[in-house]
Amino acid sequence: MKAFTTHFKNSSMTTTADFTNTSSITLKLEQVSKQFGNLTVLENLNLVIEPGTFVAIVGKSGCGKSTLLRLISGLDQPDQGTVFYDGKIHRKLNGHARVMFQEARLLPWLNVVDNVQLGLGKTGKGKALEALNHVGLESRAKDWPSVLSGGQRQRVALARALVHEPRLLLLDEPMGALDALTRIEMQQLVERIWLETGFTAILVTHDISEAVMLADRVILLDDGKIDLDVKVDLPRPRHRDNPNLIKLQEDILRRVLTIPA
Amino acid sequence: MSINWSKLTGRITGWVLPIFLMIIWDVASENGWLSSQILPSPREIVQAAIDLGISGELAKNIIASSERAGWGLLIGGSIGFFLGLVNGLSRTADRFLDTTVQMIRNVPHLALIPLVIIWFGIGEEGKVFLVTLGVFFPIYANTYHGIKTADPQLLEMGRVYGLNHWQLFSQIIFPGALPSILVGLRYSLGLMWLTLIVAETIATTSGIGQMAMNAREFMQTDVVVLAILIYALLGKLADMGVHFLEVRLLQWHSGFRQ
Repeated sequence: MKAFTTHFKNSSMTTTADFTNTSSITLKLEQVSKQFGNLTVLENLNLVIEPGTFVAIVGKSGCGKSTLLRLISGLDQPDQGTVFYDGKIHRKLNGHARVMFQEARLLPWLNVVDNVQLGLGKTGKGKALEALNHVGLESRAKDWPSVLSGGQRQRVALARALVHEPRLLLLDEPMGALDALTRIEMQQLVERIWLETGFTAILVTHDISEAVMLADRVILLDDGKIDLDVKVDLPRPRHRDNPNLIKLQEDILRRVLTIPA
Repeated sequence: MSINWSKLTGRITGWVLPIFLMIIWDVASENGWLSSQILPSPREIVQAAIDLGISGELAKNIIASSERAGWGLLIGGSIGFFLGLVNGLSRTADRFLDTTVQMIRNVPHLALIPLVIIWFGIGEEGKVFLVTLGVFFPIYANTYHGIKTADPQLLEMGRVYGLNHWQLFSQIIFPGALPSILVGLRYSLGLMWLTLIVAETIATTSGIGQMAMNAREFMQTDVVVLAILIYALLGKLADMGVHFLEVRLLQWHSGFRQ
């Protein structure tokens, strides 16, 4: 908590946003609620996420986990409560955050490298190629997205997010639609890049094994409230057969399943 | 040396039927089964084309018609494209203008010919005006549709990735609308020739339609048929132009990749 307060004080003194600052973001949600019509999706949610951590948000479908991610990214605004980035109230889309969606959302009329370069301007070519190299797809730079496999498209989408050097990476089930083997490869890639780069990462997923493999902290959402908030204190690289990991996974799963629908 | 037979037959197949019909037509004319007053023989038509070509009349008329078509397409297409963009992008403009556009659309533009003659006489402006009206709507409707159906997921992604309004338009909305806009262009080209044929047969001093009407006065069926064939050819050329654009601009689209 000490680290958080210092960070808070420092950043409240900086007045302008600095895009070259690659340090990760401290995120705080205070009494956040969101309704859609009569339906309350999130209710009085309080959450602090330390800089540089990897947090997984799990829960049944409809528990509000994607809505939470949209509030954090600024794509949607909370009805009540406030989202703070580094201690500053944050209302618009934040330039420091990048989102990976469940679908790759590549522009079909741009080739791979131009997709990665999106929003960078003409000078970004080198950076885009470097990012593609990072995800192992430099050789496909000139291809159309339509000829890539689902896993390759998501890797391009990851490169597109990384090229902006985000301080906060929001992952909205980006591996949800991939087959089992591709999914494991993608998880390893995301973990490796997160370890190298050190951004704050928030992963929304329905796959609990994925959550405990990747995250420092797993948050279970139920009915718009935090039902469980556990630290995953296991050394990396983690192995799927680690008994502690399996036990934690089972505990969380049991908790999810005992929640009355 | 190996010949790609399947490719070769693929190219030829489409021409088998027209050539076969030409042969029957020619044989029928030569043997007098078909009166040249009703339908001239293919040889007579070729002869007429050569004669008119040498006298320069053919080129003069084709140029006159193409100019009218071109101006009408340019003016009507630009207005349609621009209005389609504005109404597709702005809900206020859409509410304000769409009723008017739909009402204009439902008037058959050829019904305006008597009025157009009163307004413009038999000069160029009347014909260009009619073509303008004819090509306007397909381009308007398809541009509008293309803009309106822009993928909201891609737009959301664009916003997250920091694109400004102009970039959202130029990188996401417009390229996504392009296939639809080209469909509109294709429809417009069909209507462009149709409008021109009707306009030129009613009131003109030059053009392919006028050439055909003149020939009718003197029962020159060969020239009449030649005029019809030239319209078919020009229509085919215009269509090839759009196809060329599609192949160039829509390479990313699996349906147009070569």
